[in-house]
Amino acid sequence: MSTAEQPADEGAQVTKQRQVAFTAVGVKKHYPGVKALDGVDLEGYAGSVLGVCGANGAGKSTFAKLLAGVETLTEGEITIAGFPHPVRNAAEAEQAGVLMMHQEPLIIDDFTIGENVWLYKLREGKDIRPWAQKVDTNSAETRKVLQGVGLGQLSTRQLARDLGPGQRQMLSLSRAAVTKHKIMILDETTASTSEEHFNDILDLVDREKKAGTSIIFVSHRLNEVFAMCDRIAVLRNGKLIKVLDAAGTDADEITALMIGQALKALARPAPVQTAPDHLPVLSVRDLHGGRAHGVSFDVNPGEIVGLYGLVGSGRSSVARTVTGQRPAVSGEIKLHGQEVHLPTPTSAVSKRVAYLTEDRRLEGFVKDFDNGKNMSLVVLPRMARAGVVNSGAEKKRVRELIGEYQVKGGVNTYTRTLSGGNQQKVVVAKWLETDPDFVVLDEPTKGIDVGARANIYEIIHDVAARGKGVLVVSSEAEELLSLCHRILVMRNGQIVGEFDPDHADTDDLIRTALTHQD
Amino acid sequence: MTTTDTTLPPVHEYEEDTSRGQMIGSWLKGQYALYILVALLVVATITRGAIFWGPTNLTNLLLQMSIIGVVVLAELIVVLTGGIDISVGSALGLAAVIAAGLFGGPSVLLALVVAVVIGGIVGAVNGWLVAFRGLEPFIVTLGMLALARGLVYAYGNGIPITPAAASSFAAFGQTTFLGIPVLALIWLVMVAFIAFLLYRTVWGRRVYAIGSNKEAARSSGIPVKATLWSVYILAGLLVGLGGWMFLARFASGTSTAGNLMELEAIAAVVIGGAALSGGKGTVFGAVIGTIIFAVIANLLSLLNVSTFLQDAFRGALILVAVALATVQFTRRRKTDATQPAAK
Repeated sequence: MSTAEQPADEGAQVTKQRQVAFTAVGVKKHYPGVKALDGVDLEGYAGSVLGVCGANGAGKSTFAKLLAGVETLTEGEITIAGFPHPVRNAAEAEQAGVLMMHQEPLIIDDFTIGENVWLYKLREGKDIRPWAQKVDTNSAETRKVLQGVGLGQLSTRQLARDLGPGQRQMLSLSRAAVTKHKIMILDETTASTSEEHFNDILDLVDREKKAGTSIIFVSHRLNEVFAMCDRIAVLRNGKLIKVLDAAGTDADEITALMIGQALKALARPAPVQTAPDHLPVLSVRDLHGGRAHGVSFDVNPGEIVGLYGLVGSGRSSVARTVTGQRPAVSGEIKLHGQEVHLPTPTSAVSKRVAYLTEDRRLEGFVKDFDNGKNMSLVVLPRMARAGVVNSGAEKKRVRELIGEYQVKGGVNTYTRTLSGGNQQKVVVAKWLETDPDFVVLDEPTKGIDVGARANIYEIIHDVAARGKGVLVVSSEAEELLSLCHRILVMRNGQIVGEFDPDHADTDDLIRTALTHQD
Repeated sequence: MTTTDTTLPPVHEYEEDTSRGQMIGSWLKGQYALYILVALLVVATITRGAIFWGPTNLTNLLLQMSIIGVVVLAELIVVLTGGIDISVGSALGLAAVIAAGLFGGPSVLLALVVAVVIGGIVGAVNGWLVAFRGLEPFIVTLGMLALARGLVYAYGNGIPITPAAASSFAAFGQTTFLGIPVLALIWLVMVAFIAFLLYRTVWGRRVYAIGSNKEAARSSGIPVKATLWSVYILAGLLVGLGGWMFLARFASGTSTAGNLMELEAIAAVVIGGAALSGGKGTVFGAVIGTIIFAVIANLLSLLNVSTFLQDAFRGALILVAVALATVQFTRRRKTDATQPAAK
């Protein structure tokens, strides 16, 4: 541990009679080539929420995994109050009362909602006699549990596969009400939920606090961290920098601690420079497809257009339809004034349209490919002659890209092993390398920390400054307000409002997305 | 692109590429097939060394593995996409009997064209159903297995079909070049050809991408359906070639030609380290897998083990190999979790 950055637990001096729930001493976790955690001492208290913040690769998720016993620590010790010895694996952590809520909700698609609530109980299943007493997954209690996480309107008999990503996460959180635990870990749990569900999570955390649970909230979203946490621990490069009392600090201080220096205020994009006789890069008229019902809008050269809406408003359907990810049912799409037909992603790529998916793991990169192969995936035909790849040219180019986009890890590192921010940089590099005229980014900073976020914003501004058209889809109003030239708001598959970010605020967007009076 | 002037957290210094020694070391760790082969060769040397390493036996061994070797390559490219082809054996039989029987089998060259076309048609039908109709490869090729084998029996009424030019077939099958049988040379050329396609072309990269992550491949603008179709067609062409090689070796198309070859082909591909879920596997591994099975069959006959027991040995080997592969998996996970980075 460096002496210059001696962690000082300011929070510890505030109240004295706190009950320790877990103690981590000198925790180290080394992966081949990476010191994910390098000597962290941290305590958690019953009935209190500890926020764990840090940039990409700071080690916050690693800490959560060690606490939950999912990963084994290299050095050090984590003891949990009331458990006789340090936990060695996930089963012991569970016995000790640790409940881990993962970033990806653990939901079984083919089980009903009720069965998913009681998943742990069903799993116990020690009594396998067919006539044994079963958990009633459709009981009034189950419905009450669901109401507690804002899913009261759903039937317990409905299949979980039909739920949206936010609802899945809430369903997974509902298990907190039916399991015995003393420590609850929320590892980036809000990454896939939008703002509408956050209040339900706050309620849940409140109930847990009253019940004396010690909660660890790992997150990138500082406003949520401040809304939820009592204490905030900041990690940087595997080291604990500081533990602060949430009441005595602010987002700027935390950000500065996270990245080791003060963050520049997010720059607004330069105003759009357009020739008087320009044609829009993209022009959409009366588009139908998926959840989009009659959508019309233009994106001009050099313009960054934001598309805001709640989950299910049709914003992703629009993004996917104009990029050929799903075929349009009807309507007209024009690129530079020429009507185009985009039935497949292949056709969109050939028309110089790029789509950066919201689901990086599924669609963003190839699981078994390294950074180099992932980055060259789309442009590979251009590095080939008669279908034979010029390996030298490919190697050289991806090496350059790694440097240009500051991707952590080399050409031969598997993309799946990188942090969210670095994965996104690989995906961005892969698509911008195709030199697209029109770029669609669906939730470009989902699961990405502040440092990488500023980096991604800058890249987007840069693309627009080169006269390309950009469409950014996001469920974060603030992000769009700082990033875009113009914001469209969707509700029920239609565009219901258009805002100039200089004359609008978060409330305007959310209100328009929720209810719209004609 | 100017991203250098941003205020970013310090990027971790990353050791760009590990040293060559480490690379070879980690590569050797995964080569279980190679160890099995070495062990087999040691056993062969100890028990029947003189006969096993004799030129007659080695030539025989090469001939044995060249036909199945080509079929293994076909199976490999299908498995790489996450599919499976269990019709390779029957398709080989069909290609062999029709090539022997069509127009009376007047020439070796005509038979080659016929066999490859028949194989290609079978592959194209399989591939079309899999790629464009979205059917399960297992079910599609299961149907094709029964269909093709049925056609084989119907075509020859169960009697071996001897082509008119049987003697030139036999002569061709026994031709050697620099002491190596021509059939084995054809196999080796195909090995090089498939390796080239998989590792050096856009097509090969797409095959791996589709097998590893179909959604990402589709989203990245890769023509998934067309690529899948081409994979099955190429597999069919290879199997057709295998049928012709069968004809050249035995000079007649028997109704049991290629029987159960699909099992050996799949087993060889898996022993060679390919994942049936797709995206993982090498030509080198598939070749090692091919050699292993040929050596086992050869060794068991040299040791006078009954043919019935030979099948049991082959099955046992598959189980051992698959078990070894899981051992390797859990070991790697353990080392990931517990060992410090520095070595």
